[in-house]
Amino acid sequence: MPKPTKGPRLGGGPAHERLLLANLVSALFTHKSIKTTETKAKRMRPLAERMVTFAKRGDLHARRRVLSALGNKEAVHILFTEIAPLLAEREGGYTRITKLGFRKGDNAPMAQIELVLEPVTKTPSAKKATAAAAPKATQTAPPAAAPVATEVVADETSVEEVAVDEVVVDAAPAEVVAEAAVEEVAADDAATEEAAADEAATEEATDAEKAAE
Amino acid sequence: MAVPKRKSSRSRTNHRRSAWKAEAPTLVKTIENGKVVYSLPHRAKVVEDSAGTPLFMEYKGRKVADV
Repeated sequence: MPKPTKGPRLGGGPAHERLLLANLVSALFTHKSIKTTETKAKRMRPLAERMVTFAKRGDLHARRRVLSALGNKEAVHILFTEIAPLLAEREGGYTRITKLGFRKGDNAPMAQIELVLEPVTKTPSAKKATAAAAPKATQTAPPAAAPVATEVVADETSVEEVAVDEVVVDAAPAEVVAEAAVEEVAADDAATEEAAADEAATEEATDAEKAAE
Repeated sequence: MAVPKRKSSRSRTNHRRSAWKAEAPTLVKTIENGKVVYSLPHRAKVVEDSAGTPLFMEYKGRKVADV
């Protein structure tokens, strides 16, 4: 059972709220997805789901009860003939609310409320599945939420690793060269050309070491 | 018409004004195409093409609404 709403009625009075919510629910059934404020979306959700439950029962009495609540023959017809068969397999949770942003003009938080018309994905063994599916759903949701972000992160880390590897590979021979150069300098002071070459080598080695650091 | 009986002192005015503070929103940090993006949690985002034209709103990999 839906929890009673706190605070004042929408619109201005109980009758106004009833009519307002009935109109919103009728619009939801005719258009399948509507954009409204977050408060109205949250308030209309229990009513909309109740109407879907009546529609799934499908008999004349249920149809008359929905008609008395909504007062819109077109919406009731669409609900009973088009929407109810699609939601026959689903056990509750017929609507989905997504927060969108803030309306220009009065900065009201807006939301999109839509009927969940996708076919139900069956999970193995009903009672255990509900317990096991909850953590699975939470695990699968974040990668689906930000696949681009994770890919980018992975790319960056791989690039950094490669860069580090290259630096290390460069630095190791450079050190060997530097040691060899120092020995040569100690041995042959006279050979100016070799010394120049050695100095260049040592400079390169120091640069490589700095890069490694 | 109701009228204030006393002048509100400078101290009272300043205390009232200093109690009114802005508050930083909690944001989620994500990396998209190498750029760090801060956004509000649990809220649909606008998807843009390469030229920066807004295409549609997206949430959890699902197209939610038009812009």
